[in-house]
Amino acid sequence: MRPRSLTTLVALVALFVGGASYAYAQVPGAPPVEFPYTGNRTAVWIVAQLHILFAAFILGAPIFVVISEWLGYRKQEPRYDRLAKEVTKVTMILYSMTALTGGLFIFVLLATYPQFTTWLINHFFMVFAVVYPLLFIGETFVLYMYFYTWDAWKGNKKARHIALGVLLNLIGTITLFVIDGPTSFMNTPVKAEGISPAEFLETATLWDKMFNYSWMPLNIHRLVGNVTFGGFIAGMIAAYMYMASAKDEERSYYDWMGFVGNLIGVGALLFLPFMGYLLSYELCDYDASICPYMMADQLSMFFEMQGAMIGLIFLASNYYIWLSMKRIQGVEKVRMTILAPIVMIALPLVMTKVMTDYPVPDPKSLMFLLPMLLSPVILGRFIPLTVSARTVIKVGFLMIVVGDAIWMTPHGFVPTGAKLVAELELPSDWNFLALMPAKNSAAFTLVFVTVVNYVIYNRAISQGTIVWGRIDFVSQFVLIFLAFSAIWTMGLMGAVRSLLRKYFHTYNLMPDFTAESFTPTLSYSAWWITGITVVFFLVVSFAIIVTLRASHPKDRVPEGSPVPAGAK
Amino acid sequence: MGKAIFKIIIGLVVGAGLWVGTMALEFPPVFRWMFFAYAILGTVVFLVLDAPSMKPLSGVKALGAVIVFYVVLCVVYIAGASLWPQYDPEDEKGKIEKILKPKRAASEQGKADELIARAKALDEQAKALAERIKALGGDQAPAAQAGGSPGAVASTGASGDVLKIGEEQWQLQECYNCHKLKGEGGKKRGPELDNIGSLLTVDDIKLKIVDPKSWMAEGFEKEFEKGKMPDKYKDLMEDQDIVALATWLGTFKDASVNTPKPIKKK
Repeated sequence: MRPRSLTTLVALVALFVGGASYAYAQVPGAPPVEFPYTGNRTAVWIVAQLHILFAAFILGAPIFVVISEWLGYRKQEPRYDRLAKEVTKVTMILYSMTALTGGLFIFVLLATYPQFTTWLINHFFMVFAVVYPLLFIGETFVLYMYFYTWDAWKGNKKARHIALGVLLNLIGTITLFVIDGPTSFMNTPVKAEGISPAEFLETATLWDKMFNYSWMPLNIHRLVGNVTFGGFIAGMIAAYMYMASAKDEERSYYDWMGFVGNLIGVGALLFLPFMGYLLSYELCDYDASICPYMMADQLSMFFEMQGAMIGLIFLASNYYIWLSMKRIQGVEKVRMTILAPIVMIALPLVMTKVMTDYPVPDPKSLMFLLPMLLSPVILGRFIPLTVSARTVIKVGFLMIVVGDAIWMTPHGFVPTGAKLVAELELPSDWNFLALMPAKNSAAFTLVFVTVVNYVIYNRAISQGTIVWGRIDFVSQFVLIFLAFSAIWTMGLMGAVRSLLRKYFHTYNLMPDFTAESFTPTLSYSAWWITGITVVFFLVVSFAIIVTLRASHPKDRVPEGSPVPAGAK
Repeated sequence: MGKAIFKIIIGLVVGAGLWVGTMALEFPPVFRWMFFAYAILGTVVFLVLDAPSMKPLSGVKALGAVIVFYVVLCVVYIAGASLWPQYDPEDEKGKIEKILKPKRAASEQGKADELIARAKALDEQAKALAERIKALGGDQAPAAQAGGSPGAVASTGASGDVLKIGEEQWQLQECYNCHKLKGEGGKKRGPELDNIGSLLTVDDIKLKIVDPKSWMAEGFEKEFEKGKMPDKYKDLMEDQDIVALATWLGTFKDASVNTPKPIKKK
């Protein structure tokens, strides 16, 4: 498998570089192709999104793989090492898919938008022709070395193997940052006050183009998003394998793996709303007209759908904690200070008020909010009133519903501000529910509740006993749900980021003169996002079956057993 | 079972309370139903929390359950997204066409398209001429043809109401997203402009459009410092369109509206 994959990869890189230069030379006479049924833009969207999904996994999974391997080494627990190795096996197959869809993406882009593609390649020639291929080849070597030295570098050599994993992540992260340069440039190309973007671009260096407004926010957002993504996919792998396990020992292991995958996914998910906020803040700062287009105009309903998805993801991840608690013996003894549910209930209202009066980054807002958030930890020690863990979690669920309700309350039930009428608009006294302080408080409530639930879980495992493998079977569907929903949301927000360029390939610089340069409906987008997610899941499911299921034969035939000639 | 019924009753009572409460607070019906839906969501959550454990599945049954689960997720997400109000792309297509038309004409591709279109028109004219000469044998035909379409194009290009173009630019550039005018649009991102014609000349307004740092509206110091008004319009708009927009805005002299005082900054 290794030589074939390497050959494929090298061939793709060669074709990409060669194809790009050929297309550049052919621009004036090259008639763009027309994809049947989907149209060119949707065809590019499908291939690009698929590529991003595979790439997100192969960049996100190694981060927690190496952490898991290190934990196994440090705690001397083989199951961490097994988890790391099994996820790496799946990563190997998806790595080939990343290269394949990446090559396909370039070909489709060159065929459909030759002028723009060559223009972009020309501006980032060093990146596309030298830096990116070298990083990709480097990552390929290190990934294969990491996998194939797994069993050889054990014991004393384990530290060396972990170091190789760290190197793999380092190269992966640099690759992500490098390719984010052209991607973010398309949204926020370099500009300077008083000079037109086209004029400034002529004198801009490669670094100017890379280090644009949204580059670093996109890097951070994608990095954290990839860890979430990898965690939830690991949870899904565990769910498949748990369902397929016939032995208690296997079920115990995959129950544990599902919990760890979910823990990593949720742990990173807690930061995502704030990373997303940072990215949109920078986009709005770059061009204030992007903000209403996102939040109040053509894309406003995309954000309603995002609110619904995030609410469901938080509900599901907390429900998984709830189900996990049920398999802990002695959980009923766990109690918590009454201040925790009180803060949960007060948080949305108080935070909205404080952030309205002292908008971020005003430090006064922290002066009010920090003591409140820390009060269960500090004052809880002195107040003897406690409530059961069950009650705290149930209050938490109530507040997740309230938080999501605030997140999803729009200024008006219209897809564009131009169509806003009084019958579809929030009363003016309640308009604060549709403003950013309320949305931030809603996001923070979801995060706070989840953190409290994990604190309770930690107390429960320190006071009780976990019975691995005995989790309610429905939890496996929760893990699948989380993976599917997280990826669907990723597709939705990817569409939003691309659509923010409006009728430009590169915002304000390179117009898209094709008939497809309009904002599609949310419904149309949802069909394609769902389709892309399903295709991705089919490939991932295949990878899991091939790498993990097939490697656990029920009855192993002893090697060297005589087989009669002509036996069927 | 008794507990479940109790939860459903509680959920319905909370939902009804929210519906009545929001009605009393004069929320439009769509918001009342939305709050009612949240109460139902909460009820479902609490029913699921105490639902009995699911029996383990294996083999074909587990595979079937997973496939059905995926199908349900797909249907729910597509249906959910389709239930929200949908933006009509047709509203935007005409706008984009108008905005990009001059840019397309200025591009290499646009010039090539124009040459091809001209060549086609000339070809058609030549064919028509040949047919007329063939049919009539007259020598008046070329003169009649030559005086035809170019003149018509010129007269169409020369006509046009500046104020109408200005108003159209207001819509095309979506100025209403930040500025309130005639009681419509704006989210307090930028100043209300109903009296701008009394405070600034057409040239001043034009200057503000091409160079947002040239004037600052009183009370909008923070927005001015942050450069909230994009400085992209000089690149996006044609000169005559900027003049038309400035001229149209210059006609707004409604002193009853408190348009903030402009302060010269450059």
